[in-house]
Amino acid sequence: MISVKSQKGYRLRLAGPPSAELVALDSPTHIAVLPEHIPFVKPRLKIQVEDSVQVGTVLFEDKRNPDVRFLSPAGGRISDIRFGDRRVIQQIVIRRDLSESFLEFEAVPEKALDGMQPEQLIEILLKGGMWALLRQLPFRDYPPPGSTPPAVFVTIGNLQPFHPHSKVFLRGNEGLFRYGIKILQKLAHGPIFVAAHQSDYQTISTLNDLVTHVYSGDYPAHDAGILVYRTRKDAGNNRSWYIDGQDLLLMAELVKSGKYPTQRVVVVAGNLAAEKKHFRTRMGSPVRHLLNDHPDKGNPRHIAGGVFSGYPVDADGYLGPFESSLTILPDGRGQELLALFRPGYRKPSYSRAFLSAVNPGDFQMDCNRHGGIRACIGCNHCTEVCPVDILPQLTYKSILADAIEEALTHGLLDCVECGLCSYVCPSKIDLFPTLKNAKAAYYREQGRG
Amino acid sequence: MNTLKRFFDSQRGHFLKGGRFERYYPFFESMESIFFAPAEITETGPYVRDSLDVKRYMLLVIVALLPHLFFGIYNAGYQSHLSSGLSLSFFPVVLKGLWIVMPLVIVSYTVGFFWEIVFAVVRKHPISEGLFVSAMLFPLILPPTLPLWQAALGISFGIVIGKEIFGGTGRNFLNPALTGRAFLYFAYPAQNSGDVWTVISGTAAKAVDAFTGATPLAISAATESGSVHQALTREGYTLSKLFFGLYPDSIGASSTLLCIVGAAFLILLGIASYRIILGDIIGVLGMGLLLNALSAEGSLPYLSLNPFYHLLMGGTAFGIAYMTTDPVSAPDMNAAKWVYGIAIGVLTVLIRVFNPAFPEGIMLAILFMNIFAPLLDHIAVRMNLRRRVPNV
Repeated sequence: MISVKSQKGYRLRLAGPPSAELVALDSPTHIAVLPEHIPFVKPRLKIQVEDSVQVGTVLFEDKRNPDVRFLSPAGGRISDIRFGDRRVIQQIVIRRDLSESFLEFEAVPEKALDGMQPEQLIEILLKGGMWALLRQLPFRDYPPPGSTPPAVFVTIGNLQPFHPHSKVFLRGNEGLFRYGIKILQKLAHGPIFVAAHQSDYQTISTLNDLVTHVYSGDYPAHDAGILVYRTRKDAGNNRSWYIDGQDLLLMAELVKSGKYPTQRVVVVAGNLAAEKKHFRTRMGSPVRHLLNDHPDKGNPRHIAGGVFSGYPVDADGYLGPFESSLTILPDGRGQELLALFRPGYRKPSYSRAFLSAVNPGDFQMDCNRHGGIRACIGCNHCTEVCPVDILPQLTYKSILADAIEEALTHGLLDCVECGLCSYVCPSKIDLFPTLKNAKAAYYREQGRG
Repeated sequence: MNTLKRFFDSQRGHFLKGGRFERYYPFFESMESIFFAPAEITETGPYVRDSLDVKRYMLLVIVALLPHLFFGIYNAGYQSHLSSGLSLSFFPVVLKGLWIVMPLVIVSYTVGFFWEIVFAVVRKHPISEGLFVSAMLFPLILPPTLPLWQAALGISFGIVIGKEIFGGTGRNFLNPALTGRAFLYFAYPAQNSGDVWTVISGTAAKAVDAFTGATPLAISAATESGSVHQALTREGYTLSKLFFGLYPDSIGASSTLLCIVGAAFLILLGIASYRIILGDIIGVLGMGLLLNALSAEGSLPYLSLNPFYHLLMGGTAFGIAYMTTDPVSAPDMNAAKWVYGIAIGVLTVLIRVFNPAFPEGIMLAILFMNIFAPLLDHIAVRMNLRRRVPNV
């Protein structure tokens, strides 16, 4: 096993972590897919409002590559398709029938898998709508079907607060996981790397023969981008594929059973969450359903996908089928009196400018910006925290100056989109969105995005 | 405190878009944010943010500077009474010090804030907290006898030419307080060098006979034969006096003890870069030792001065603790910070020893290296990038 130590990064001691308890939720009456939040995909709708769908019916395909489809995670009727600005498809809502019918796909028993051609397997994954779970570095779009990666990274665990713990979603699914690894071995000619956290003894011991990388360090040490950055000797692995451990289980479930998977493990946490737990729930559940219908406390803000790299969702909206984290924090609109002069024992900070530097506990946080937007004063916090040693403030400046070549030599494409640079910035500069958007724009300019 | 909140809430309307004083919103925001943390919530990811902001960052520097202000008030009053043969008991001295120092501080803040508001309104940027630090640093490095109009002119030059014309705090490449000080130094040498370090109270005839008013730096530079140590001791400048700083000098910069405390405070809180400070000290001591080694029979006595004296005398310690560590005008890269610090130390000693026109070298050394900071950064960045595995 290769030990990958991430020296930089940051562990946010956010209060309200989930317990390891796993609760199964009933199926909600409505389920939605959120095409807006699938990166780079340009959806072409294949259904209309009031169409009836089965689990596995094609909802939309990607205009860039019509073979890549996205399927319905529920059976019933399309009750609403909501468009946003410039006709972006925000959500496709399905009103679920009591008895859902499943579209049958080809089921591949474990023995048959060995004799299969890669092309057949790709066909199954494309038809089954699971191809897009694979991602390719550095842009994090799905890889072109049929291409071969230098390596595939399977990352187990996510250090961003708060994500499902591997011991919850992997428990009892080790066989399925091994099956998934076999699929990857068929798809890719290169090596399959499986990475687990140093403290994740359970995974390391039960999947001892599969785990190749053991990572340690603070968020975002789990990210495939970091693993590549820390282990590469040359540019060879820069275009590696990666897939999240839980997503690999979904992919394996599809191929093994021939049915489109409908459930995943989701974490609901944060200090305003009534039940801070792991939930086994339907993919694309309403936020209210995930809250187990507990009423709101305070002025909550619901964040899907983690506090650093996630996005806010409406309390009456849905958690996308591919998300596994919902964090609920106070919106923090209040104005704290004389906040400037307080010693700040309870104010979390990367710096040592508050008394919290000696506070060993977790911190209650809200979504206040904690300061006005100012020019960069050169405090260097972003450089200190950047896990891939980019100089974020200089890269940011070269992006604003339209010097994209300069930004690329600074390592823009190594950016793992962790959001830490923006988090620590005392001037509250939008480093993270700027770097992320510049990367995406560069990808689109190459005609691929 | 609810009254305060109501007051700001009731006035906000006038400053928002469409209000009567829409243009002056930066002023309102600046005043309100002293009392209340801003209410804005995150609109872009990440959706939680660190508690540290620039206001807090700058406030901590001001906190570190307050002891210098208090000491400067006492010292200015003490030197004035000492030279004039007046009572040296605490209260009269402090009152005298307040009378000397506070007008300079008030002028510095008022005029500095005026320019900041003018530029914030015209250029439509928020009022930056860097001003509050610059306007505090500036009076601390002035001679106590400076006419107020010169103080006003100096801070105006420092803020406008040293900072605002480049876009305000964060975009300046010179330290604004030092820029203003250097401007005064060259524009009005009569009021900024020589016997300007003590305010004589009453008529000059009353001055005590023994009083010369010469600063340690002036004595060191003027010594032509014998040992500088002896010359300093003859004038009463013992090591402990230089360390504690109770001698005629610029208002707040003389106490090395307070500089060490302030620098330690800022390093502990992660505000000041220890790399720059250590680099400075290495530069000063290294160059001092080199000069010691070069000194021979009949050479300038200043050459053989114990290098530690360079750290104790004049404004070196103050410059090292608060001016070289200004993050905006210093380089960003860690390697460049070492070079920057060492170069400042070396230049300070060189200017002091070899240039009779400038008894104090740290001001010019810092401004000189401020100009070189982007170049140092550029070289450090190139070296850094050469180590990267390309990913294009």
